[in-house]
Amino acid sequence: MAAPFDVQRTGDETKLMVRGSLDINSAPALADEIDKIIATKPAKVTVDLSALDLIDSSGVAALVKLYKGARGGGGAITITGARDQPLAIFKLLRMDKVFNL
Amino acid sequence: MVAMIRLSVPGTLRYRPIAVRTVAEAARLVSGSSPRDPKNPTIDPLALDIRHPFDTAVVSAFMEIFNNIAIHAYQRKGGGTIDIEITPSPDEIVIEVKDNGRPFDMGNVVALPDELDEESLPEGGMGIHIAKTMLDEMTYAPGPPNLWRLCKRLPAPQVAVGRS
Repeated sequence: MAAPFDVQRTGDETKLMVRGSLDINSAPALADEIDKIIATKPAKVTVDLSALDLIDSSGVAALVKLYKGARGGGGAITITGARDQPLAIFKLLRMDKVFNL
Repeated sequence: MVAMIRLSVPGTLRYRPIAVRTVAEAARLVSGSSPRDPKNPTIDPLALDIRHPFDTAVVSAFMEIFNNIAIHAYQRKGGGTIDIEITPSPDEIVIEVKDNGRPFDMGNVVALPDELDEESLPEGGMGIHIAKTMLDEMTYAPGPPNLWRLCKRLPAPQVAVGRS
């Protein structure tokens, strides 16, 4: 099965698109990619969740890791497109305000 | 309404998608939600389509409990089964999940911070909180077998009338 994410790097911006299900089975691969993204200290990270259908706490943890890592490296991060079940989870965890969803 | 649905799978994450799909379809029986576009043949019939609030709550909670059993009860090593018994009815769904792994210590579940900011964003320990908050009732009885009982009810105005 293909990894449920794509990474595009343009100049000092990194764009991460996550699709399908980000869960305990798929999150470890994303976490590895997140480590690589954070290591480059990108000035701007954009996370597009418009194609994300389902998320669990492992997926949320991976995105929190990216958020903290990008901000900790002095970069800006924008998370967009969350809808349906993933948006409900972010709201339940009260992360929607922190992520400005 | 269909009768009880039973599913028994090995206690590993490999079988999680099968269990989640089964629970999603059972939730759909209660909520009456329909797939995104059943007439569109380009949509993968096996793709999960969780949009209805009831389906969202049931599936989100169940995913966390399955994760918990595979990780904590069976220590990611399997070696036992996860037995799932789903009872859908016109206004609620009850899911009982049994395992014979290590009992889970609910006392170790840490509450999420009241005020969330960048510094306090949690990177773990969210699963039980998600499950408990999404459901109307959630109980756990350590075993063997360990027994999780999950219950979600439809809001009264949404109860379908005349559905058999």
